[in-house]
Amino acid sequence: MRNKYLLLLKMQLYNFFGINRMFHSHSKKEKQKSMLLGALAIVILGLMITYSALFSAGLAGMGAASLLPTLSVLVCSLITLVLTFLKGSGVLFGLRDYDMVMSLPVKSSEVVLSRITMVYLANLLISIIVVLPAIIIFGISTNAGIIANLIFGLSLLFIPVIPMIISLGIGVLITAISSQSRHKNIISLILSTLAVLLIVAASTQAQNMDSSEIVNIGVALSNTANRIYPPALLLSMAVQDQNGLYFLAFAGLSALFGGAFVVVVAHFYQKMNTATFSHSAIKYKEKALKVSSPFKAMYKREFNRYFSCTIYALNSTIGMVLLLVVSVLLLFITPEMLEQQSGFIGLSQMLRQILPMVIAVFITMTSTTAASLSLEGKNRWLMCSAPVRTIDIFNSKIAVNLTVIFPFAFISALLLGIRMEVSTMQVVLLCIVPLIYSCFISVLGMYMNVKFPKYDWTSEYYAVKGGAVSVLATMGIGMLSSMAPLFICAVFTGISSMVMVVTSALLLIIVFALYGKLRCYQLYEI
Amino acid sequence: MQAILEIKGFAKTYSQGKKAVDALSLSVMPGEVHGFIGHNGAGKTTTIRAVVGVMDFDAGEILIDGHSVKEEPVTCKSLTAYIPDNPDLYDYITGIQFLNYMADMFSVDQGNRQKRIQKYADLFGITDSLGNLVSSYSHGMKQKLALIGAFLHQPKLLVLDEPFVGLDPEAAFHLKEIMRELCDQGSAIFFSTHVLDVAEKLCDKVSIIKQGKLVVSGSMEVVKGSGSLEDVFMEVVENEK
Repeated sequence: MRNKYLLLLKMQLYNFFGINRMFHSHSKKEKQKSMLLGALAIVILGLMITYSALFSAGLAGMGAASLLPTLSVLVCSLITLVLTFLKGSGVLFGLRDYDMVMSLPVKSSEVVLSRITMVYLANLLISIIVVLPAIIIFGISTNAGIIANLIFGLSLLFIPVIPMIISLGIGVLITAISSQSRHKNIISLILSTLAVLLIVAASTQAQNMDSSEIVNIGVALSNTANRIYPPALLLSMAVQDQNGLYFLAFAGLSALFGGAFVVVVAHFYQKMNTATFSHSAIKYKEKALKVSSPFKAMYKREFNRYFSCTIYALNSTIGMVLLLVVSVLLLFITPEMLEQQSGFIGLSQMLRQILPMVIAVFITMTSTTAASLSLEGKNRWLMCSAPVRTIDIFNSKIAVNLTVIFPFAFISALLLGIRMEVSTMQVVLLCIVPLIYSCFISVLGMYMNVKFPKYDWTSEYYAVKGGAVSVLATMGIGMLSSMAPLFICAVFTGISSMVMVVTSALLLIIVFALYGKLRCYQLYEI
Repeated sequence: MQAILEIKGFAKTYSQGKKAVDALSLSVMPGEVHGFIGHNGAGKTTTIRAVVGVMDFDAGEILIDGHSVKEEPVTCKSLTAYIPDNPDLYDYITGIQFLNYMADMFSVDQGNRQKRIQKYADLFGITDSLGNLVSSYSHGMKQKLALIGAFLHQPKLLVLDEPFVGLDPEAAFHLKEIMRELCDQGSAIFFSTHVLDVAEKLCDKVSIIKQGKLVVSGSMEVVKGSGSLEDVFMEVVENEK
């Protein structure tokens, strides 16, 4: 069992961040690109660990180092829960190499375990970023003893397991339900969106505490974590009491969860994959065919692609769905109620000032264009050989992102504008800022995907999420472009309108510059 | 003598009630090349995918060398090699990494793996390219690589879905030679094809499937009689319309 499992895992690891390509490619350019990306990844990882370490050190500085085990488990678990779910069951079902792998003399359980191990390794990275600095700071700042430190250290390996399995379990359930239907993608998309909203709502509940001091927030958070997530309590008691039995219970519970999941999924693996791959046959009835322009044809095809892939649609829309949900919820809360509940006098006035930038943050969370080219995968010859200009292909992809964003952005702007009773100037900004940010993120995503395409995926998940540089870069730059001005607007509310106008003008210039660059590309070069 | 592949009453219904294959039974004996013929959507690939254990099925039994595909899937797979109609290989590994991976999977010992890789790679003329990434291979080269991967463990049952599509004439010739060689060693070959001339020359037995039902099965001589396989196929298709 072990050897075959390791072989399957090794084959997947070869594709992890293009490691194998870096060693075996004869193209100097490709090698340089891989090395640059590797260096970039290390720098980003370093920055994230530093940020996490500063947070832990800050908490320790306030004399709350004893809360670090529980808090780090809570934060790491929540991140794992959300991120794993967004990966969807794309790591388990409907993989392109399914036939090849399953025709090999391996057990379904080995295949499932190897797939889950990849997800686990990705989550372990989150654990390292969040928990490792906490472990070190905890060791330095407390006199907890060797056993407590050892237990906390070892817990690093187990923390991601339970939240990961919960998320994957929800994903598998959604696949099981939706695969019974003819409209499996739409049903899967709706169920997945609902699940993400539920997970986000639950996470918000976990942080919804009445406390004004940071240490008290820490204590309250820690208490809530122990209440709603028993494994956190087990680990917390194991560290506090230096009790190995509690730790064994925590580790055992994690292993039991993981093992049971593998056994259950392996049992239904073939059946569920068959259902995922099967397509209903509807007898075609001859009818008059609609004639479209090449652009419209590409736009329609691009839109179909969007709905054909749950993970693609979910990842590139979830920010906008969240924005709409928040906007609708705010309809039922007056600005005064908001101020009262938060205890922040002047909050409603500040919100009024920064509203366009808040919408911009949601818009820049993701973009369909960042993965749209990669998703062409092995079918890209179709585009390359089509008698259309390359920029028209890009335009069709950009148009889809704008079609997805606009309804959510402008309905939300309208709802928020009504609720917050904004001025005329703010109405103008509520129209212009989201419009420019939508164009910016669409063109930026397209440009990043042209620069960093990923065609050699075995599952759409790897083009949309797992290590897709174009998506990560678009998200990073996009969020920076909205969060930085948001921060300035929030601090200097007096000049917020000017900040937004200047930012929008700058972004517009960048949009034209990037679009100009996109016009120079030929698809077969990418 | 025990059949290497025995399909008894195999049926597969997809969700929404579409019956892809119904009550299909056939057997493939050691040393036999068995052609599986039918028009597009007749149920060939569904049957083949069930035989190689990548798809579950509703009714019937499939035995490979006496082992049930449902009960002993790993044993069955270790006796089988499968090449799909459009082998989708990992682009991010080199040719030799892929072959080594296949040899590991089928537990081929060091000596045999070296010997066989060299033999088949030389035969198909891709030895020099084995160190390159699969992404740099042409379609035909990928197919040759997949075939070599399938031959490494000298399978008892070789299942091929449209193996001749995309192969150059020389490679097609070598493939036919290897198929014969394997059969001489007691293996069996079950393959689907639309190239009826090839099937006629290569197969000992032939089965024709139409709309999920087996309509003709038997030795090539008996099935085609004094005519050609093409005549028989067209007759079957016309009669059923």
